[in-house]
Amino acid sequence: MLGYQHGDSLAHRLDPRTKLAVQLTFAVAAFAHTDPRGLAVLTVVTAGALASARLSPVAVLWGYRFLLPLLAAAVLFELVTLGPPWLDLAAAVDPLLASYRTLLIVAVAAGYVRTTAARESRAAVQWAIPGKPGRLLGAGVGLVFRFLPLLRRDLAAIRDAERARLGDERPTRERLQTVGAAGLRRAFARADRLAMALSARCFSWNATLPRIRFRAVDAPALALAAGLAASVLV
Amino acid sequence: MSTATDSVDLVGDEVAVNLVRAALLAALMGAFAFVSFPNPLNPAVPVTAQVLGVFLAGIYLGPAWGGFAMALYVLAGVLGAPVFSGASAGLAEIFGPTGGYLLSYPFAAALIGAVVHGVNGLVDPEGVSLPRLVGAMTAGTVVIYALGIAVYWYYLDTSLVAAIVGAGLVFVPAEAVKMAAAIGIVRSDEVQAT
Repeated sequence: MLGYQHGDSLAHRLDPRTKLAVQLTFAVAAFAHTDPRGLAVLTVVTAGALASARLSPVAVLWGYRFLLPLLAAAVLFELVTLGPPWLDLAAAVDPLLASYRTLLIVAVAAGYVRTTAARESRAAVQWAIPGKPGRLLGAGVGLVFRFLPLLRRDLAAIRDAERARLGDERPTRERLQTVGAAGLRRAFARADRLAMALSARCFSWNATLPRIRFRAVDAPALALAAGLAASVLV
Repeated sequence: MSTATDSVDLVGDEVAVNLVRAALLAALMGAFAFVSFPNPLNPAVPVTAQVLGVFLAGIYLGPAWGGFAMALYVLAGVLGAPVFSGASAGLAEIFGPTGGYLLSYPFAAALIGAVVHGVNGLVDPEGVSLPRLVGAMTAGTVVIYALGIAVYWYYLDTSLVAAIVGAGLVFVPAEAVKMAAAIGIVRSDEVQAT
């Protein structure tokens, strides 16, 4: 599983907004140039992005292995025909290119996920969406990051208890209901305690966040983003 | 470190409670992504409880905060929280073949909330009639699959039939099971709405 890891790679030192700009323009450029030549150029860009995050392509593929059957299915569905000549190579080319494009976009996004702390992302959100909506989203995203591990543990405990009572032999609907109800009850109980604690500690609209600023190292990356955006028009 | 000297602008109690509930529901949905159950109708495709999270967000938080909770879920995933299926994350999921499902969640939850609660404040979900609950979740499911299939079809350049079969029909029976589970949760007395 890919997640944030502390480090000092080039990608770690970039401003989160720069990294988001590169990801967005990369995805748009990949959609505009889904042909062998375009994807070859973008493969080089991807390799650079992964190197700047010191992330190996194998780790990315392993982290997103759940995506692979879906991509393979799209290619196979067009490749195999129900009748002679059984294999239609020409029809499979477009899905194949589209699947490869997905892998490239995934790899670039993995670089962001690995090198950007939640607090920096939150600061970027509040920069991009000014006013109270941005602050609500920023605070909410921070809470999701913070509580995800706890709620995962809650659910794991609930499922352990279920298994100990042979609950895993019950029908799927009953199991979903048990786990869903118990999970929701615990989440709401946590939410109500947390909301009270936040109010008691003067939960405010103007919390202090890490200051994000563009530095010299952002310049080449921003130029790359501009180049990717410009390539769409060519 | 610098020190901010502006005066503190407190968040109201009601907003704080709703924000925290929405955030925890989004996190719960992320936790659901780790939990898969055997699919009674098609053992090859396991059922994850994520869509159950969309149903519960609309039913328990209402149109505005339910939709907000799902927006938080998508945004947190984009920014790197491992909340999408298979514990993946990142902007690529939105630009991937299953991005349509993710983008549909806020709209589906808002629609479910609007059908269950109406537009004049929230009601106690336990008192909502069964047809209304089923209708709300069916409408939400239609939104999820319409967007999901459209994006899958556009994205992978397959034929429309391949997209409807591969991204829709395979999963729909499992949604009925989740609807039944959601109704069971609402009727079970286990969860207090307010």
